[in-house]
Amino acid sequence: MLSDTTRSRLVLAVLVAVALVLLVVDARPGSDPVTSIARNGGELVFAPTAAGVGLVSGPFTRVYEGLSAGPEAADRITELEEANAELESELQAARLDGHRAEKLDDMLHLSGRGAYEVVAAQAVTRTTARGYAHTATLDIGTDSGVEPDMTVVNGDGLVGRVTDAGPRTATVKLATDVNSSVGARLEASRKIGAITGGSVPGGPDADMTLELFDMEAPIDQGDRVVTLGSLEGAPFVPGVPIGTVDEVQVAPGALSRIARITPAVDFSALDVVGVVVKGPAEDPRDSVLPPESDPEGDQ
Amino acid sequence: MRPVVTLLMVAVAVLVQATIVNRLPFDWGPGPDLVLATVVAVALTTSPATAAGCGFAAGLAMDVLPPAEHPMGRYALMLCVAAYVVSLLHANTGLGGSGGGRLSRWAALGVVAVASLGVGLGYAFIGLVMGDAHVTVGAVAVNVGIGTLATTLVAPLVTLPVLAVRSLLAEDDFATIQGPISAGRW
Repeated sequence: MLSDTTRSRLVLAVLVAVALVLLVVDARPGSDPVTSIARNGGELVFAPTAAGVGLVSGPFTRVYEGLSAGPEAADRITELEEANAELESELQAARLDGHRAEKLDDMLHLSGRGAYEVVAAQAVTRTTARGYAHTATLDIGTDSGVEPDMTVVNGDGLVGRVTDAGPRTATVKLATDVNSSVGARLEASRKIGAITGGSVPGGPDADMTLELFDMEAPIDQGDRVVTLGSLEGAPFVPGVPIGTVDEVQVAPGALSRIARITPAVDFSALDVVGVVVKGPAEDPRDSVLPPESDPEGDQ
Repeated sequence: MRPVVTLLMVAVAVLVQATIVNRLPFDWGPGPDLVLATVVAVALTTSPATAAGCGFAAGLAMDVLPPAEHPMGRYALMLCVAAYVVSLLHANTGLGGSGGGRLSRWAALGVVAVASLGVGLGYAFIGLVMGDAHVTVGAVAVNVGIGTLATTLVAPLVTLPVLAVRSLLAEDDFATIQGPISAGRW
């Protein structure tokens, strides 16, 4: 019933074989000349298109963010209409620049406190076609000094790390990705652990989960967590705020303590980020954390 | 004329998917897959070999464009096989249209939904084989379910226009009617 010509079957077989070869070649660790040339070619097309879309989409993105707020949508619409009337008098470009400048300012503030040397970038994609990996694409690459295994931050804290960099784009694995693992240190107590994206087996459902290696370490809701830092500052520089402890799980017989972490960064609204091209000479300890805003906090 | 316009439509779908759809901050995870919706429309109006080539090219383009989060070839493989199967079934069994005639609109949407489901599961299966830690039962169920729904919802805006353009540009009145084995014509 499913008849087909030999030539047609041959075409399919060849294409499947090529795809499988590409899969195997590209899945191997390290970079391969063929696939990296192909990716560089891809970004030649991608970078200008993404930049164009960025220019055009600025105003639409704001409306979309307002509408996707959900239950408060009705209030938001009235609010947005008022804001819109107000903003119509302003130039579109100026409005966009102001918004970005604010975020840039926050980020420079953070990098100043930690003595990080950062390169500013904009996140140009957030999801992938099939939605499994938590990644973002940045609009800068090796031309701006970005290399794989560099830390990515924004004004609030840790965003992730660079996994792949082409001349004009870079791929960032967000800290909420299942494959992401970050060495972490509790504020003040200096107890160390690891933060993985998503949930760990046996842990609570979460965006990020902290596994603390010391069973006796005091840990409470509201404790803040910063990056521990890696050797030579790659992939993570020390002292970047990661998040706040939300819920501590006490599991009898477990080898480590598990806590749910609320990320410091709002991953659904990534815009201006910074790639840390040079880490600080000394560990900034807790100095990058913003001052405790809650008077009932631990500090 | 027809091949050029088709190529243009597929290229636009790929770029829109990579730069606009992937940029939207969906709270629920995956967005619609415009590339799949376009490739299915092409596959329904061409021979299996051409459909496989078109699917492979579109999938490879998506693999090559940033973000580089999955190995190259994963999506190309899925779209190539999906386009081939859709085209083969359409040519041989009249799937998506009664009596080998023109497609009904609902049938085309149904084909998009089934293809989206198949590609979603196949993509997850490749991840499973390659040891991708993202592939868990829960994540796959959510991603495939929502992805299929979103793709089917945008299909009337993507698949049907592409089908219409391709039938419009067909050389004669019978060009869209597929025989048991159609000629390898674009």
